[in-house]
Amino acid sequence: MGELEPVFPFKAVIFQILFLLVAIALEAMVLRQKMRLGYRQSVRYAAAVNLLAVVVGWFAFLAIEPLIEPRLQAQVISYVLFDNLINNTLKPQMGWIILVAGLGAFFITLIIKLKGLELLMRAVGTWKLPAKPKDLSRQERYSRSRTGTTRYQEAASQFAIAVLQANALSFSAILLLLVLRSYILRSVA
Amino acid sequence: MIDILKDAISKIRTLITPPSYLSWQTCLLLSLFSWLMAAIAESSEAAPFTVVLLSTFSWLFLTIAIWWGLTENPVEIGYLSISPWITAAVMCVFLFRPWTTERLQLAMGCWPVVATILVAIPNFFNWGLDWKLPKPHIRQELIVLLLVNLLLSSWIMFYFRIQHWFDDYPSLMAENLDNSAFVYRFGNDSNGTSQADILLTSAAASLVKQLDNAPWPRVERWLLNLDNSISSVASGIILNTISERVFWSLDAPRPQSVSNGYQIKLRANWLGPTAKENGYYVEKVCTILPRPLKQRTGNEEQPTTSTPVAQVTCADETKEVERTVNAETGVPST
Repeated sequence: MGELEPVFPFKAVIFQILFLLVAIALEAMVLRQKMRLGYRQSVRYAAAVNLLAVVVGWFAFLAIEPLIEPRLQAQVISYVLFDNLINNTLKPQMGWIILVAGLGAFFITLIIKLKGLELLMRAVGTWKLPAKPKDLSRQERYSRSRTGTTRYQEAASQFAIAVLQANALSFSAILLLLVLRSYILRSVA
Repeated sequence: MIDILKDAISKIRTLITPPSYLSWQTCLLLSLFSWLMAAIAESSEAAPFTVVLLSTFSWLFLTIAIWWGLTENPVEIGYLSISPWITAAVMCVFLFRPWTTERLQLAMGCWPVVATILVAIPNFFNWGLDWKLPKPHIRQELIVLLLVNLLLSSWIMFYFRIQHWFDDYPSLMAENLDNSAFVYRFGNDSNGTSQADILLTSAAASLVKQLDNAPWPRVERWLLNLDNSISSVASGIILNTISERVFWSLDAPRPQSVSNGYQIKLRANWLGPTAKENGYYVEKVCTILPRPLKQRTGNEEQPTTSTPVAQVTCADETKEVERTVNAETGVPST
Protein backbone atom coordinates (compact mmCIF):
# COMPACT_ATOMS: atom_id res chain seq x y z
CA MET A 1 0.00 0.00 0.00
CA GLY A 2 1.24 3.43 -0.77
CA GLU A 3 0.57 6.75 0.80
CA LEU A 4 -2.36 7.07 3.19
CA GLU A 5 -5.05 9.53 2.20
CA PRO A 6 -6.63 11.85 4.79
CA VAL A 7 -10.04 10.26 4.21
CA PHE A 8 -11.57 8.98 7.43
CA PRO A 9 -14.88 7.17 7.97
CA PHE A 10 -16.05 9.71 10.56
CA LYS A 11 -19.53 10.08 9.15
CA ALA A 12 -19.94 6.30 9.31
CA VAL A 13 -18.85 6.38 12.97
CA ILE A 14 -21.33 9.12 13.82
CA PHE A 15 -24.19 7.37 12.01
CA GLN A 16 -23.30 4.08 13.68
CA ILE A 17 -23.30 5.62 17.16
CA LEU A 18 -26.65 7.30 16.44
CA PHE A 19 -28.25 4.10 15.14
CA LEU A 20 -26.82 2.09 18.03
CA LEU A 21 -28.30 4.52 20.54
CA VAL A 22 -31.71 4.34 18.85
CA ALA A 23 -31.61 0.54 18.66
CA ILE A 24 -30.44 0.12 22.26
CA ALA A 25 -33.09 2.47 23.61
CA LEU A 26 -35.92 0.76 21.73
CA GLU A 27 -34.77 -2.79 22.39
CA ALA A 28 -34.20 -2.09 26.08
CA MET A 29 -37.80 -0.86 26.23
CA VAL A 30 -39.13 -4.07 24.68
CA LEU A 31 -36.90 -6.36 26.77
CA ARG A 32 -37.93 -4.57 29.95
CA GLN A 33 -41.61 -5.04 29.24
CA LYS A 34 -41.49 -8.56 27.83
CA MET A 35 -38.90 -10.15 30.06
CA ARG A 36 -39.64 -8.19 33.25
CA LEU A 37 -36.05 -7.05 33.65
CA GLY A 38 -34.82 -4.05 35.59
CA TYR A 39 -34.26 -0.79 33.73
CA ARG A 40 -30.47 -0.85 34.00
CA GLN A 41 -30.18 -4.53 33.22
CA SER A 42 -32.33 -4.34 30.10
CA VAL A 43 -30.23 -1.43 28.78
CA ARG A 44 -27.08 -3.44 29.42
CA TYR A 45 -28.42 -6.53 27.65
CA ALA A 46 -29.67 -4.49 24.70
CA ALA A 47 -26.31 -2.71 24.43
CA ALA A 48 -24.36 -5.97 24.54
CA VAL A 49 -26.42 -7.80 21.90
CA ASN A 50 -26.50 -4.79 19.55
CA LEU A 51 -22.76 -4.28 19.87
CA LEU A 52 -22.28 -7.98 19.16
CA ALA A 53 -24.48 -7.75 16.07
CA VAL A 54 -22.64 -4.73 14.62
CA VAL A 55 -19.23 -6.27 15.36
CA VAL A 56 -20.22 -9.51 13.60
CA GLY A 57 -21.63 -7.42 10.75
CA TRP A 58 -18.43 -5.41 10.35
CA PHE A 59 -16.23 -8.49 10.40
CA ALA A 60 -18.49 -10.19 7.86
CA PHE A 61 -18.36 -7.11 5.60
CA LEU A 62 -14.59 -6.79 5.89
CA ALA A 63 -14.15 -10.49 5.16
CA ILE A 64 -16.61 -10.72 2.25
CA GLU A 65 -16.02 -7.37 0.51
CA PRO A 66 -12.68 -8.31 -1.15
CA LEU A 67 -14.17 -11.58 -2.44
CA ILE A 68 -17.36 -10.39 -4.09
CA GLU A 69 -17.83 -9.95 -7.80
CA PRO A 70 -16.08 -6.84 -9.22
CA ARG A 71 -19.32 -5.29 -10.51
CA LEU A 72 -20.94 -5.58 -7.08
CA GLN A 73 -17.76 -4.32 -5.44
CA ALA A 74 -17.90 -1.28 -7.70
CA GLN A 75 -21.46 -0.65 -6.52
CA VAL A 76 -20.36 -0.98 -2.87
CA ILE A 77 -17.49 1.47 -3.39
CA SER A 78 -19.82 3.84 -5.18
CA TYR A 79 -22.35 3.68 -2.35
CA VAL A 80 -19.74 4.19 0.37
CA LEU A 81 -17.78 6.99 -1.29
CA PHE A 82 -20.41 8.79 -3.37
CA ASP A 83 -23.77 7.75 -1.91
CA ASN A 84 -25.08 6.61 -5.28
CA LEU A 85 -25.15 3.51 -7.42
CA ILE A 86 -23.20 3.54 -10.64
CA ASN A 87 -24.63 2.72 -14.00
CA ASN A 88 -23.09 -0.66 -14.71
CA THR A 89 -24.73 -3.86 -15.91
CA LEU A 90 -25.64 -4.80 -12.35
CA LYS A 91 -27.72 -1.68 -11.76
CA PRO A 92 -31.14 -3.18 -12.69
CA GLN A 93 -30.65 -6.01 -10.17
CA MET A 94 -29.43 -3.77 -7.33
CA GLY A 95 -32.91 -3.34 -5.88
CA TRP A 96 -33.29 -7.10 -5.48
CA ILE A 97 -29.76 -7.51 -4.17
CA ILE A 98 -30.33 -4.84 -1.49
CA LEU A 99 -33.68 -6.36 -0.54
CA VAL A 100 -32.23 -9.87 -0.20
CA ALA A 101 -29.20 -8.56 1.70
CA GLY A 102 -31.47 -6.60 4.04
CA LEU A 103 -33.70 -9.60 4.75
CA GLY A 104 -30.65 -11.81 5.26
CA ALA A 105 -29.20 -9.22 7.63
CA PHE A 106 -32.46 -9.14 9.60
CA PHE A 107 -32.61 -12.89 10.17
CA ILE A 108 -28.88 -13.31 10.82
CA THR A 109 -29.08 -10.43 13.31
CA LEU A 110 -32.04 -12.12 14.97
CA ILE A 111 -30.11 -15.38 15.37
CA ILE A 112 -27.05 -13.52 16.68
CA LYS A 113 -29.16 -11.63 19.20
CA LEU A 114 -31.00 -14.76 20.38
CA LYS A 115 -27.81 -16.76 20.83
CA GLY A 116 -25.85 -13.77 22.12
CA LEU A 117 -28.42 -12.86 24.74
CA GLU A 118 -28.64 -16.48 25.89
CA LEU A 119 -24.86 -16.78 26.19
CA LEU A 120 -24.62 -13.40 27.93
CA MET A 121 -27.30 -14.35 30.45
CA ARG A 122 -25.58 -17.67 31.05
CA ALA A 123 -22.24 -15.88 31.54
CA VAL A 124 -23.76 -13.44 33.99
CA GLY A 125 -25.75 -16.19 35.67
CA THR A 126 -29.25 -14.80 35.13
CA TRP A 127 -30.37 -17.44 32.63
CA LYS A 128 -33.63 -18.52 34.22
CA LEU A 129 -35.00 -20.82 31.55
CA PRO A 130 -35.35 -24.32 32.95
CA ALA A 131 -32.98 -26.83 31.40
CA LYS A 132 -34.44 -28.79 28.53
CA PRO A 133 -36.09 -31.74 30.31
CA LYS A 134 -35.00 -35.19 29.14
CA ASP A 135 -37.63 -37.13 30.95
CA LEU A 136 -40.82 -35.31 31.43
CA SER A 137 -42.35 -35.60 34.81
CA ARG A 138 -45.88 -36.82 35.15
CA GLN A 139 -47.08 -33.27 35.68
CA GLU A 140 -45.18 -32.02 32.62
CA ARG A 141 -46.70 -34.71 30.45
CA TYR A 142 -50.08 -33.75 31.75
CA SER A 143 -49.59 -30.06 31.04
CA ARG A 144 -48.25 -30.84 27.59
CA SER A 145 -51.24 -32.91 26.69
CA ARG A 146 -53.47 -30.20 28.04
CA THR A 147 -51.93 -27.09 26.47
CA GLY A 148 -49.73 -28.58 23.75
CA THR A 149 -46.50 -27.12 25.15
CA THR A 150 -44.06 -27.84 27.93
CA ARG A 151 -42.99 -25.17 30.38
CA TYR A 152 -39.60 -25.08 28.69
CA GLN A 153 -41.11 -24.51 25.27
CA GLU A 154 -43.35 -21.80 26.58
CA ALA A 155 -40.52 -19.91 28.28
CA ALA A 156 -38.24 -20.34 25.26
CA SER A 157 -40.86 -19.05 22.85
CA GLN A 158 -41.59 -16.05 25.08
CA PHE A 159 -37.88 -15.25 25.10
CA ALA A 160 -37.68 -15.63 21.31
CA ILE A 161 -40.75 -13.46 20.78
CA ALA A 162 -39.30 -10.72 22.99
CA VAL A 163 -36.03 -10.70 21.01
CA LEU A 164 -37.90 -10.86 17.68
CA GLN A 165 -40.06 -7.88 18.61
CA ALA A 166 -37.04 -5.92 19.82
CA ASN A 167 -35.14 -6.69 16.62
CA ALA A 168 -38.07 -5.83 14.37
CA LEU A 169 -38.64 -2.54 16.19
CA SER A 170 -35.02 -1.42 15.96
CA PHE A 171 -34.71 -2.44 12.29
CA SER A 172 -37.88 -0.53 11.44
CA ALA A 173 -36.70 2.56 13.28
CA ILE A 174 -33.31 2.56 11.55
CA LEU A 175 -34.92 1.91 8.15
CA LEU A 176 -37.24 4.84 8.80
CA LEU A 177 -34.26 7.06 9.64
CA LEU A 178 -32.46 5.98 6.46
CA VAL A 179 -35.54 6.65 4.33
CA LEU A 180 -35.98 10.05 5.99
CA ARG A 181 -32.35 10.88 5.30
CA SER A 182 -32.57 10.08 1.59
CA TYR A 183 -35.93 11.87 1.35
CA ILE A 184 -34.53 15.03 2.97
CA LEU A 185 -31.35 14.95 0.86
CA ARG A 186 -33.40 14.56 -2.31
CA SER A 187 -35.78 17.38 -1.46
CA VAL A 188 -32.85 19.68 -0.73
CA ALA A 189 -31.08 18.86 -3.98
CA MET B 1 14.60 31.38 31.07
CA ILE B 2 17.34 29.44 32.82
CA ASP B 3 15.21 29.37 35.95
CA ILE B 4 12.35 27.79 34.04
CA LEU B 5 14.75 25.23 32.59
CA LYS B 6 16.17 24.46 36.01
CA ASP B 7 12.69 24.15 37.39
CA ALA B 8 11.69 21.76 34.63
CA ILE B 9 14.81 19.65 35.09
CA SER B 10 14.26 19.39 38.83
CA LYS B 11 10.62 18.45 38.22
CA ILE B 12 11.64 15.71 35.77
CA ARG B 13 14.28 14.53 38.27
CA THR B 14 11.76 14.20 41.05
CA LEU B 15 9.39 12.47 38.62
CA ILE B 16 11.85 9.85 37.42
CA THR B 17 13.73 9.29 40.68
CA PRO B 18 12.45 5.97 42.00
CA PRO B 19 10.77 6.36 45.39
CA SER B 20 11.61 2.73 46.13
CA TYR B 21 13.36 -0.15 44.39
CA LEU B 22 10.08 -1.58 43.18
CA SER B 23 8.56 1.26 41.17
CA TRP B 24 7.83 2.21 37.61
CA GLN B 25 10.63 4.76 37.63
CA THR B 26 13.11 1.90 38.12
CA CYS B 27 11.75 0.24 35.00
CA LEU B 28 12.00 3.50 33.07
CA LEU B 29 15.63 3.94 34.10
CA LEU B 30 16.35 0.30 33.22
CA SER B 31 14.81 0.92 29.83
CA LEU B 32 16.95 4.02 29.29
CA PHE B 33 20.01 2.07 30.42
CA SER B 34 19.28 -0.81 28.02
CA TRP B 35 18.71 1.65 25.22
CA LEU B 36 22.00 3.38 25.96
CA MET B 37 23.80 0.03 26.01
CA ALA B 38 22.13 -0.94 22.73
CA ALA B 39 23.29 2.35 21.19
CA ILE B 40 26.86 1.74 22.41
CA ALA B 41 26.76 -1.85 21.13
CA GLU B 42 25.47 -0.61 17.80
CA SER B 43 28.22 2.00 17.45
CA SER B 44 30.97 -0.42 18.48
CA GLU B 45 29.74 -2.92 15.86
CA ALA B 46 28.81 -5.64 18.29
CA ALA B 47 27.03 -8.79 17.11
CA PRO B 48 23.51 -8.04 15.83
CA PHE B 49 22.13 -10.44 18.44
CA THR B 50 23.44 -8.25 21.27
CA VAL B 51 21.89 -5.13 19.81
CA VAL B 52 18.54 -6.86 19.24
CA LEU B 53 18.57 -8.32 22.74
CA LEU B 54 19.39 -5.01 24.40
CA SER B 55 16.85 -3.02 22.38
CA THR B 56 14.18 -5.66 23.06
CA PHE B 57 14.86 -5.33 26.77
CA SER B 58 14.68 -1.57 26.43
CA TRP B 59 11.22 -1.85 24.84
CA LEU B 60 10.10 -4.39 27.40
CA PHE B 61 11.10 -2.20 30.34
CA LEU B 62 9.57 0.86 28.69
CA THR B 63 6.26 -0.99 28.21
CA ILE B 64 6.24 -2.19 31.81
CA ALA B 65 7.21 1.27 33.08
CA ILE B 66 4.39 2.94 31.14
CA TRP B 67 1.86 0.31 32.19
CA TRP B 68 2.88 0.59 35.83
CA GLY B 69 3.15 4.37 35.82
CA LEU B 70 -0.25 4.80 34.17
CA THR B 71 -1.86 2.36 36.60
CA GLU B 72 -0.65 4.55 39.46
CA ASN B 73 -1.41 7.87 37.76
CA PRO B 74 -4.32 7.20 35.38
CA VAL B 75 -4.89 9.58 32.51
CA GLU B 76 -8.56 10.41 32.46
CA ILE B 77 -10.80 12.17 30.00
CA GLY B 78 -14.03 12.83 31.80
CA TYR B 79 -14.79 9.63 33.69
CA LEU B 80 -13.02 7.46 31.16
CA SER B 81 -9.50 6.26 31.85
CA ILE B 82 -7.51 6.05 28.63
CA SER B 83 -4.38 4.57 30.21
CA PRO B 84 -4.98 1.05 28.80
CA TRP B 85 -5.06 2.45 25.27
CA ILE B 86 -1.77 4.30 25.81
CA THR B 87 -0.09 1.17 27.18
CA ALA B 88 -1.61 -0.91 24.38
CA ALA B 89 -0.29 1.57 21.80
CA VAL B 90 3.24 1.21 23.18
CA MET B 91 2.86 -2.57 23.21
CA CYS B 92 1.60 -2.69 19.64
CA VAL B 93 4.52 -0.55 18.47
CA PHE B 94 6.83 -2.98 20.26
CA LEU B 95 5.10 -6.11 18.95
CA PHE B 96 4.40 -5.15 15.34
CA ARG B 97 7.02 -2.46 14.55
CA PRO B 98 4.57 -0.66 12.27
CA TRP B 99 7.04 1.06 9.96
CA THR B 100 5.33 -0.24 6.82
CA THR B 101 1.69 0.38 5.95
CA GLU B 102 0.73 -3.33 6.16
CA ARG B 103 2.23 -3.63 9.63
CA LEU B 104 0.61 -0.33 10.64
CA GLN B 105 -2.74 -1.78 9.59
CA LEU B 106 -2.17 -4.87 11.72
CA ALA B 107 -0.94 -2.87 14.71
CA MET B 108 -3.84 -0.37 14.56
CA GLY B 109 -6.38 -3.16 14.13
CA CYS B 110 -5.07 -5.06 17.16
CA TRP B 111 -4.61 -1.98 19.34
CA PRO B 112 -8.13 -1.82 20.90
CA VAL B 113 -8.13 -5.59 21.46
CA VAL B 114 -4.75 -5.42 23.22
CA ALA B 115 -6.13 -2.61 25.39
CA THR B 116 -9.10 -4.80 26.34
CA ILE B 117 -6.81 -7.68 27.24
CA LEU B 118 -4.75 -5.33 29.44
CA VAL B 119 -7.89 -4.27 31.29
CA ALA B 120 -9.23 -7.81 31.53
CA ILE B 121 -6.10 -9.63 32.75
CA PRO B 122 -6.10 -8.28 36.34
CA ASN B 123 -9.73 -9.39 36.71
CA PHE B 124 -8.92 -13.01 35.94
CA PHE B 125 -6.19 -13.42 38.55
CA ASN B 126 -6.10 -12.84 42.26
CA TRP B 127 -3.05 -11.68 44.19
CA GLY B 128 -1.62 -15.20 44.30
CA LEU B 129 -1.70 -15.27 40.49
CA ASP B 130 -4.30 -18.03 40.59
CA TRP B 131 -6.88 -18.28 37.86
CA LYS B 132 -10.34 -17.17 38.88
CA LEU B 133 -13.47 -16.10 37.12
CA PRO B 134 -14.48 -12.50 37.82
CA LYS B 135 -17.79 -11.72 39.47
CA PRO B 136 -20.88 -11.74 37.22
CA HIS B 137 -21.31 -7.96 36.99
CA ILE B 138 -17.62 -7.54 36.15
CA ARG B 139 -17.96 -10.28 33.52
CA GLN B 140 -20.78 -8.34 31.92
CA GLU B 141 -18.77 -5.12 31.93
CA LEU B 142 -15.79 -6.89 30.38
CA ILE B 143 -17.96 -8.36 27.63
CA VAL B 144 -19.34 -4.93 26.73
CA LEU B 145 -15.84 -3.44 26.89
CA LEU B 146 -14.55 -6.13 24.54
CA LEU B 147 -17.39 -5.52 22.10
CA VAL B 148 -16.85 -1.74 22.13
CA ASN B 149 -13.16 -2.26 21.43
CA LEU B 150 -13.92 -4.74 18.64
CA LEU B 151 -16.16 -2.05 17.14
CA LEU B 152 -13.24 0.42 17.33
CA SER B 153 -11.09 -2.21 15.59
CA SER B 154 -13.70 -2.57 12.86
CA TRP B 155 -13.74 1.17 12.24
CA ILE B 156 -9.96 1.23 12.01
CA MET B 157 -9.97 -1.71 9.58
CA PHE B 158 -12.72 -0.04 7.55
CA TYR B 159 -10.46 3.01 7.25
CA PHE B 160 -7.70 0.80 5.89
CA ARG B 161 -10.11 -0.90 3.51
CA ILE B 162 -10.99 2.50 2.06
CA GLN B 163 -7.26 3.19 1.67
CA HIS B 164 -7.02 -0.11 -0.24
CA TRP B 165 -9.71 1.12 -2.62
CA PHE B 166 -7.77 4.34 -3.25
CA ASP B 167 -4.69 2.23 -3.77
CA ASP B 168 -6.35 -0.10 -6.28
CA TYR B 169 -8.30 2.60 -8.08
CA PRO B 170 -6.28 5.84 -7.81
CA SER B 171 -8.73 7.76 -10.01
CA LEU B 172 -11.17 7.71 -7.06
CA MET B 173 -8.87 10.14 -5.25
CA ALA B 174 -9.69 12.87 -7.77
CA GLU B 175 -13.40 12.59 -6.99
CA ASN B 176 -15.52 14.79 -4.79
CA LEU B 177 -16.39 12.89 -1.61
CA ASP B 178 -18.79 15.45 -0.09
CA ASN B 179 -21.88 13.35 -0.80
CA SER B 180 -20.63 10.31 1.07
CA ALA B 181 -22.52 9.15 4.13
CA PHE B 182 -19.47 7.23 5.33
CA VAL B 183 -16.27 9.17 4.83
CA TYR B 184 -15.01 12.69 5.36
CA ARG B 185 -11.99 14.09 3.58
CA PHE B 186 -9.66 16.30 5.58
CA GLY B 187 -7.80 18.96 3.69
CA ASN B 188 -9.52 21.27 1.25
CA ASP B 189 -9.02 19.60 -2.10
CA SER B 190 -7.99 16.29 -3.54
CA ASN B 191 -4.34 15.83 -4.32
CA GLY B 192 -4.93 12.88 -6.59
CA THR B 193 -5.55 13.12 -10.29
CA SER B 194 -7.48 10.89 -12.60
CA GLN B 195 -5.42 8.24 -14.29
CA ALA B 196 -6.92 9.33 -17.62
CA ASP B 197 -3.86 11.42 -18.53
CA ILE B 198 -1.49 8.48 -18.13
CA LEU B 199 -3.88 6.24 -20.03
CA LEU B 200 -4.34 8.66 -22.93
CA THR B 201 -0.63 9.41 -23.13
CA SER B 202 0.15 5.74 -23.54
CA ALA B 203 -2.74 5.31 -25.98
CA ALA B 204 -1.44 8.23 -28.04
CA ALA B 205 2.06 6.75 -28.02
CA SER B 206 0.59 3.48 -29.25
CA LEU B 207 -1.32 5.33 -31.97
CA VAL B 208 1.83 7.13 -33.08
CA LYS B 209 3.69 3.83 -33.16
CA GLN B 210 1.04 2.25 -35.36
CA LEU B 211 0.39 5.10 -37.80
CA ASP B 212 3.35 7.43 -37.87
CA ASN B 213 5.24 6.98 -41.14
CA ALA B 214 2.71 4.44 -42.32
CA PRO B 215 1.65 4.74 -45.96
CA TRP B 216 -1.40 6.95 -46.34
CA PRO B 217 -3.79 4.29 -47.83
CA ARG B 218 -3.13 2.05 -44.87
CA VAL B 219 -3.97 4.91 -42.55
CA GLU B 220 -7.28 5.45 -44.29
CA ARG B 221 -8.10 1.75 -44.06
CA TRP B 222 -7.17 1.90 -40.39
CA LEU B 223 -9.55 4.80 -39.86
CA LEU B 224 -12.38 3.10 -41.78
CA ASN B 225 -12.03 0.09 -39.54
CA LEU B 226 -11.87 2.30 -36.48
CA ASP B 227 -13.50 0.05 -33.88
CA ASN B 228 -11.05 -2.80 -34.40
CA SER B 229 -8.16 -0.39 -34.72
CA ILE B 230 -8.95 1.27 -31.41
CA SER B 231 -9.08 -2.04 -29.58
CA SER B 232 -5.56 -2.75 -30.82
CA VAL B 233 -4.54 0.63 -29.38
CA ALA B 234 -6.38 -0.15 -26.14
CA SER B 235 -4.48 -3.37 -25.62
CA GLY B 236 -1.28 -1.37 -25.38
CA ILE B 237 -2.30 1.14 -22.73
CA ILE B 238 -0.52 1.42 -19.42
CA LEU B 239 -1.96 2.41 -16.05
CA ASN B 240 -0.35 2.91 -12.68
CA THR B 241 -2.39 0.07 -11.25
CA ILE B 242 -3.59 -2.96 -13.14
CA SER B 243 -6.77 -3.32 -11.12
CA GLU B 244 -8.13 -0.02 -12.40
CA ARG B 245 -8.02 -1.29 -15.99
CA VAL B 246 -11.54 -2.78 -15.66
CA PHE B 247 -12.98 0.69 -15.10
CA TRP B 248 -11.61 2.23 -18.30
CA SER B 249 -12.70 1.67 -21.85
CA LEU B 250 -11.09 3.37 -24.81
CA ASP B 251 -13.00 4.36 -27.90
CA ALA B 252 -13.03 7.07 -30.50
CA PRO B 253 -15.83 8.86 -32.31
CA ARG B 254 -15.71 9.03 -36.12
CA PRO B 255 -12.70 11.01 -37.30
CA GLN B 256 -13.31 14.48 -38.65
CA SER B 257 -11.69 15.79 -41.80
CA VAL B 258 -9.40 18.74 -41.34
CA SER B 259 -7.62 20.34 -44.31
CA ASN B 260 -6.24 17.31 -46.09
CA GLY B 261 -5.99 14.97 -43.12
CA TYR B 262 -8.07 13.74 -40.20
CA GLN B 263 -8.59 14.66 -36.61
CA ILE B 264 -9.26 11.78 -34.24
CA LYS B 265 -10.37 12.05 -30.62
CA LEU B 266 -9.15 9.35 -28.28
CA ARG B 267 -11.75 8.99 -25.60
CA ALA B 268 -11.20 7.25 -22.25
CA ASN B 269 -14.53 6.32 -20.66
CA TRP B 270 -14.63 5.95 -16.88
CA LEU B 271 -16.99 3.11 -16.00
CA GLY B 272 -16.20 2.93 -12.30
CA PRO B 273 -17.70 4.62 -9.24
CA THR B 274 -17.90 8.37 -9.57
CA ALA B 275 -19.57 11.33 -7.93
CA LYS B 276 -20.62 12.68 -11.34
CA GLU B 277 -24.15 11.60 -11.97
CA ASN B 278 -23.79 10.16 -15.46
CA GLY B 279 -20.09 9.48 -15.40
CA TYR B 280 -17.45 11.21 -17.45
CA TYR B 281 -14.92 10.68 -20.20
CA VAL B 282 -11.60 12.28 -21.03
CA GLU B 283 -10.55 13.17 -24.54
CA LYS B 284 -7.27 13.76 -26.30
CA VAL B 285 -7.09 15.14 -29.82
CA CYS B 286 -4.71 13.66 -32.37
CA THR B 287 -4.22 14.96 -35.91
CA ILE B 288 -3.15 12.71 -38.76
CA LEU B 289 -1.79 14.54 -41.79
CA PRO B 290 -0.28 13.19 -44.98
CA ARG B 291 3.32 14.08 -45.60
CA PRO B 292 5.19 13.61 -48.80
CA LEU B 293 7.73 10.81 -48.48
CA LYS B 294 11.32 11.97 -48.30
CA GLN B 295 13.80 9.67 -49.88
CA ARG B 296 17.06 9.26 -48.06
CA THR B 297 18.87 7.53 -50.85
CA GLY B 298 21.17 10.32 -51.84
CA ASN B 299 22.77 13.26 -50.16
CA GLU B 300 20.09 15.65 -51.35
CA GLU B 301 16.61 15.00 -50.02
CA GLN B 302 14.01 15.25 -52.71
CA PRO B 303 10.29 15.26 -52.13
CA THR B 304 8.77 12.79 -54.54
CA THR B 305 5.26 12.40 -55.77
CA SER B 306 4.93 8.78 -54.62
CA THR B 307 2.50 7.73 -51.86
CA PRO B 308 2.68 10.08 -48.89
CA VAL B 309 3.09 8.79 -45.33
CA ALA B 310 1.14 9.82 -42.27
CA GLN B 311 2.34 12.21 -39.64
CA VAL B 312 0.60 11.84 -36.29
CA THR B 313 0.69 14.57 -33.68
CA CYS B 314 -1.26 14.42 -30.42
CA ALA B 315 -2.13 17.35 -28.23
CA ASP B 316 -0.56 17.39 -24.78
CA GLU B 317 -3.65 18.57 -22.98
CA THR B 318 -6.73 16.47 -22.30
CA LYS B 319 -10.31 17.52 -21.78
CA GLU B 320 -12.62 16.03 -19.19
CA VAL B 321 -16.28 15.94 -20.20
CA GLU B 322 -19.14 15.10 -17.88
CA ARG B 323 -21.69 12.94 -19.61
CA THR B 324 -25.23 14.16 -20.02
CA VAL B 325 -28.14 11.75 -19.97
CA ASN B 326 -28.55 11.75 -23.77
CA ALA B 327 -24.91 11.65 -24.67
CA GLU B 328 -24.40 10.81 -28.29
CA THR B 329 -22.39 7.73 -27.46
CA GLY B 330 -24.82 6.53 -24.84
CA VAL B 331 -23.59 4.44 -21.97
CA PRO B 332 -20.94 1.99 -23.06
CA SER B 333 -21.20 -1.54 -21.85
CA THR B 334 -18.69 -2.91 -19.42
